[in-house]
Amino acid sequence: MRISKSIYLFFLPGLVLYSLFFLYPTISALFYSFTDWDGLSTAFQFVGIDNYTRAFTGDSIFQKTIGNNLKFMLTVVVFQTLVALAFALIVIKNTKTNVFLRALYFFPTILSSVSVAFIWAFIYDPSMGILNQVLELIGLDFLAQNWLGNSNIAIYSLAITQVWFHAGQMLIIFVAGLQAIPEELYEVAKIEGASKWQTFKSVTWPLLAPSATIVVAYTTIQSFKAFDLVFAMTGGGPNNSTEIIATYIYDVAFKSYQFGYASAISIIFMVIIALITYLQFKALRSDRVSY
Amino acid sequence: MKNKLWLATGTVGLGLILGACAGESGGGDSSSESGDATQISFMHWRGEDKAVLDEIIADFEEANPDIRVEQNIYPSDQYQATAQRMLQEGSTGDVFTSFPGAQFESIQSAGFFEDLSGEDFVSNFDESLIAVGQKDGTQYALPYQLVFNMPVYNKGMFDELGLEVPKSWTEFQEMADTLLENDITPIAFPGADIGPNQFMNSMMMNNAPDEDVFAKLQNGEESLTNEWWVKTLEDFKLLADKGYIQDDALGTNQDSAMAMVANEEAAMLATGSYHMNSLLDLNPDLELDLLAPITVEESEATYEGINTATFMLAVNSNSEKKDQAKAFIDYLSQPEVASKYANETGQHLTVNGVEYESEALQNTSYWIDERNTRFQPRFLITNAQIEDAVLSSIENVLGGEDPMAAAEAAQQIVEENRE
Repeated sequence: MRISKSIYLFFLPGLVLYSLFFLYPTISALFYSFTDWDGLSTAFQFVGIDNYTRAFTGDSIFQKTIGNNLKFMLTVVVFQTLVALAFALIVIKNTKTNVFLRALYFFPTILSSVSVAFIWAFIYDPSMGILNQVLELIGLDFLAQNWLGNSNIAIYSLAITQVWFHAGQMLIIFVAGLQAIPEELYEVAKIEGASKWQTFKSVTWPLLAPSATIVVAYTTIQSFKAFDLVFAMTGGGPNNSTEIIATYIYDVAFKSYQFGYASAISIIFMVIIALITYLQFKALRSDRVSY
Repeated sequence: MKNKLWLATGTVGLGLILGACAGESGGGDSSSESGDATQISFMHWRGEDKAVLDEIIADFEEANPDIRVEQNIYPSDQYQATAQRMLQEGSTGDVFTSFPGAQFESIQSAGFFEDLSGEDFVSNFDESLIAVGQKDGTQYALPYQLVFNMPVYNKGMFDELGLEVPKSWTEFQEMADTLLENDITPIAFPGADIGPNQFMNSMMMNNAPDEDVFAKLQNGEESLTNEWWVKTLEDFKLLADKGYIQDDALGTNQDSAMAMVANEEAAMLATGSYHMNSLLDLNPDLELDLLAPITVEESEATYEGINTATFMLAVNSNSEKKDQAKAFIDYLSQPEVASKYANETGQHLTVNGVEYESEALQNTSYWIDERNTRFQPRFLITNAQIEDAVLSSIENVLGGEDPMAAAEAAQQIVEENRE
């Protein structure tokens, strides 16, 4: 069958948009990462790989942001996946109550990140915040904390907010994945006398792997790019303990006016996300089975 | 030409990459021709002043029917990022405001400031307060507001408890002890947001009376591990250890800290004069004044407080409507217009002949002429990463770190970022 050349026109809009909004900006960021451009002046100089060398050997804050990002990402990935999966198992059947609960769990996702930041900054407030007040009310006042002001726990407090914000989104993916598992497999497992845990381990989880891959990969990328929440809730403080790579790029580019260096960090950031996502896909793909 | 293309696309490039993480905010209008009148854009960060500026603009437009002014307001924490992009385009910010310090330096080096040196309206400003808008003898920007970045205190409460304004570090601690004995937190410190960057100024003003200390820090002649900064950090530690600032100060934002002072749970608010109006809105019965901690003995004290001439008015050199932009600045610098702005926003101004009507402004006007204040030291740090290092060391100490260890950690970052 002869394919008309005009078919290529259908690719064009997507190709143009992709080139304009991803390829071109990425290439220009790569270009600037080898310069000392300040983002304002018309002049700049090529500095070779100096910006990259500086990021890895001469910038302790950047190195700290990588650590912060990993702590944030691991906490979010683990908790968000588990919470979303647990809730998905609870609301899997299409009853009226479950449909309502799904909508309820999904609700935080439709809020703007700034609203979420305000709500949670209030919840975490050490003197007036509802969290410490509730802990005191139920006799757990020894657990009351300076949630965002303590540099040892602030990043985890932010991670919990992120989980609350996005778990509902992941729940929908898990529900779709669970509903796609053939009912007959559960019947067979029942006939074979499998326990609930055995059924989950041998039927549900392996067949849910494609959904889990999406959830974990998406959560990873999302948690690396959690700029808005961090910016609005802590601004990276105290003492850079919540500074993540995205907020640091912003600071370097727009407060320190070092666009060349910020571009280099952006490129490193992109490579880190790509690498982690690739490894996750590879690891989770090996879990996939079909019956 | 090729360079310009790269520059334009580079800005878009990084913007788009960051755009994946951050959303655009604020207004997006630009200056344009509006009917027969020329429309100019006034870009600034004072959202709380929009209403009074709208009134002033309406009066200006009546007096100048061929000019329309549109306000483009971006929150102060986003202003640094937004302003530079807008000025580069030239479509917004025919008149714009700049912070002193790092932002002024960057905008000046990028050439976005129109030279205002020869303009008649420059003489409408207090000559001693506009130097911060100059570079190499050229007047690039004219600071409009004069704020005192030092604690606001409850004068009525002090009078009731028979407390005098302390003149030394020893007296300051005695005063704080008396407040504690009366179950009053001496200082409400908003450590989650602006506390460290405001309070550091008065805490260090007499520990390092040399106004070039941060310039020397940036060029390697000074170190944060030297006496002046380590003592400042030790003083902060003392405030925390003795309970002179509230528990969990690093988790307290400025609204919560203001509420503490308005409810008279705390005696001082460690921010600045710009919060006096808000405090009076929360509790009109308060009698307020300003008080900076003197962290040395009385005989060694050089300064009594901190001032900042800020909200620096400037004309964008890329603007095609410079004459109209200058006409607007000229109008803002008229004493009667400036008086209206000052009284309705509760701010002291750098304009000559302003008449302050409110009690709070009148009661604190003596700080302008009669007190020895110094320009906010933080704004003399022109490298934002070094500024962050300095502020982080305060947060570090308030988080429990040893002052010398915090100073050493900050000094390492200073050395990494020294130009």
